[in-house]
Amino acid sequence: MKNILIILCCLLASPIVSAATSIKAEVNGMVCAFCAKGIEKKLNAMPEGQGAFVDLKRRIVVLELKPQQNVSLDAFTQVIKEAGYAVDKVENVEQSIAEIKANIKASMKGQ
Amino acid sequence: MFKQLSVAFLLAVSSLHVQSAALMGFEDSYMLMTETGEYNQEVMFNYAPSIHHAFGVEVMRMSPKGMRATTMTGINYTGLIQRWNLPSAQANVWFMGSVGEARGLHHGFSYSPSVQFDYETTRLYFLAKMRMLRAPGMNNDMAAVQGGFSFYEADFDETQPWFVLEAKAIKNFNPSLQVTPALRLINKNYFLELGITNPFNKSERAPRLNLMFTY
Repeated sequence: MKNILIILCCLLASPIVSAATSIKAEVNGMVCAFCAKGIEKKLNAMPEGQGAFVDLKRRIVVLELKPQQNVSLDAFTQVIKEAGYAVDKVENVEQSIAEIKANIKASMKGQ
Repeated sequence: MFKQLSVAFLLAVSSLHVQSAALMGFEDSYMLMTETGEYNQEVMFNYAPSIHHAFGVEVMRMSPKGMRATTMTGINYTGLIQRWNLPSAQANVWFMGSVGEARGLHHGFSYSPSVQFDYETTRLYFLAKMRMLRAPGMNNDMAAVQGGFSFYEADFDETQPWFVLEAKAIKNFNPSLQVTPALRLINKNYFLELGITNPFNKSERAPRLNLMFTY
C-alpha cells in the first residue's frame, strides 16, 4: 500500500504534459474559398500536423497534431497571420478533426 | 451616360452580396484568369511569392463594336496595398499595373495601372475599380463596380453559386457602358462565371465567360 502511494505521488509530481490533440482558432477575414485554400495549404505544410480543417461558415481553423508533437499557440497564430488573416481566439483542444466535424454536424442537427 | 452609370451603380450596390475579389492567390500560388466576351478578351497568369505581391503576364484584346480590335501584351504586377480582416468580412485595396505593347488599331507602348477596392463576406460582395488603359492614340480608361450575393452559404469544399451584377464604363469605346448580370460558381480553387452583357439592348447583347483558377 505504501509503495502504491509513493508511485502515485511520484506520478502526480512528475511534469506530465499531455500534448493537445488539435489547435483550434477563430479567424477574422476568412470569407472566401481562396482564403481558406491559402490557410489550408500553410497548415498542411506544418510538419507537426497530420491534418487541417477549415470551416468558412463558422470561421474556424483546426490543425490536428501528430502524436507527441506540439505547436505553441503563438506559432500557430503567426502562421495564420502570414497567410493574410487575423486570429480572434486560439486554443488547444482535446479533439481530433473528425470529432470536431462530428460535433458541428450534431449541432446542426440540433438547430 | 452618367445617369445610366449611376443607375447601374445603384443597382449593383443595392444588390450587395457576392464572391471572391482577390486579384491574386495565396502565398506561393499561381492564378490564371480569363475573360471571353464580344468586346473584351483577356488572359492573365500570375505567381504570388507572398500574399502582398504577384507578378505575371497578360494579353488583353479590346474589340469595340464596328472597329478594329487592339491587342495589348505585357507583364503585370499586382500588389495588396491594404487589407482589413473583420470578424465576418474582408476588405482590400489593390494596385495592379501592366506595361507592354499594343497592336491592331493602335500600335506602340501600352500601359495600364489600376486601383481596386473590394469588400466581401461569405454572402455579400462589392467591388469598385478604376483602370487606365493607354497606348498611342488610345484612351480606354474604365471604371467598374460589381455587387453580388450568394444564394446560400457553402462549405469550403462545396460549390457556391453567386449572382453578380457589373457595370463598366469605358472611354472612347462602343458600347461605352456595359452592364453584365452573371451567375458565378465558386469552389475550392476555381470560379466560373457566365453572364450576358447589355441583355436589354438587342444590338449590344453578348455572352461573357470568366474563369479563374488558383493552385
